[in-house]
Amino acid sequence: MSSHAIATDSKDDWSGGRSPFGISYGKMFMWFFLISDALTFSGLLCAYGFMRHKYPDVWPVPGHVFTHFPFYEGHIPLAYVGFMTFVLIMSSVTMVLAVEAGHRNDRKKVLMWMFWTIIGGLTFVGSQAWEWYHFIVGTDHGAVRNILVDGQWKDVLIHGANLTYNEYGLPVFADFFFFITGFHGFHVFSGVVINFIIFLMVYNRVMEKRGHYEMVEKVGLYWHFVDLVWVFVFTFFYLL
Amino acid sequence: MSEFHDDYPQYEMMAHHSEEAGVAKRKKLWGVFWIMLTITIIELIIGFNNHYFNPTLLMFIFIGFTVLKAFYIVYAFMHLGDEKKALKWVIIAPYSCFIIYLAFMVCLGEGEYSMGHRNVMDKQITEQQQKLKEGGEQHEQTGEHHEGETQHHE
Repeated sequence: MSSHAIATDSKDDWSGGRSPFGISYGKMFMWFFLISDALTFSGLLCAYGFMRHKYPDVWPVPGHVFTHFPFYEGHIPLAYVGFMTFVLIMSSVTMVLAVEAGHRNDRKKVLMWMFWTIIGGLTFVGSQAWEWYHFIVGTDHGAVRNILVDGQWKDVLIHGANLTYNEYGLPVFADFFFFITGFHGFHVFSGVVINFIIFLMVYNRVMEKRGHYEMVEKVGLYWHFVDLVWVFVFTFFYLL
Repeated sequence: MSEFHDDYPQYEMMAHHSEEAGVAKRKKLWGVFWIMLTITIIELIIGFNNHYFNPTLLMFIFIGFTVLKAFYIVYAFMHLGDEKKALKWVIIAPYSCFIIYLAFMVCLGEGEYSMGHRNVMDKQITEQQQKLKEGGEQHEQTGEHHEGETQHHE
């Protein structure tokens, strides 16, 4: 039914009547959207880089801030973030396996792999929420900061971090943390929602009727982009 | 006149493949997963022990590994490696221009103030402003003196 075109970079591509890039407009626009979103995240990370280097002495060291691990009463630097990275990369692998199964019209495998991708995404969002919780609540010892209380500036022992004070260092670190990881977490969440919708479509045999699983591929592109952004956020925020 | 076919199954390149081709592709994908896991573990180990490294070297190592991971994600997982050359360039070229701009402008050019020269530049600018302010105050004092004497010195 569908002719198996070979990847030839011939001049015939540009003679009209077909997409010269050999892909559908849906996939093309997903790529365009991903580039624009990549530029958005690049801008945010660039701003973070500027701020971080402006205050090198008082910038919190992420290895000392993010030391929690669930069900463990100790301090292991960056362990949970490493786990989150592993979960997201794993979910990227299951997504690409779902796409590959779609190329063989293997509906059951597509459903299985997409299910695991959704689980991975939910785990990531939940983990991020847990990190936020611990960041906001703070440590037992806290820190003394000069904050505005009832219209007066006072030295107060504060715990945790929010948009006005930060026990770990400069408040702007907290601002960037919430915004960048929040923006990324929002992308993960919307990716999970979209994955779930496509999962339902595959379940209801919509793709089978169409004869191809290209929708799974397009959604897969979005999911891989989310993973890609996390790789960069992880490096610039937690490692450097 | 050629019919316009936007109906992708007709020329969607990777639309379908056989079971045997699938086995080979899956093997390759799991291989990429192991590469990604290894790189992440190395990054974490270096991250734990970052006090042994020179900060600039650290920056190069981490950014290098990150770009390598990004390359694998885009090439293998997003299948950009299987697309036509034209599409590869459409995606890679503008973004690479932006990244090169970032690297040279932000890190080496415009970012020099925030990241390097700030202590020296701030002091020079503050001193210069102080001098200008003092010069202006002196001028004001003599000016009031002038006005008090109703412009005899003009």
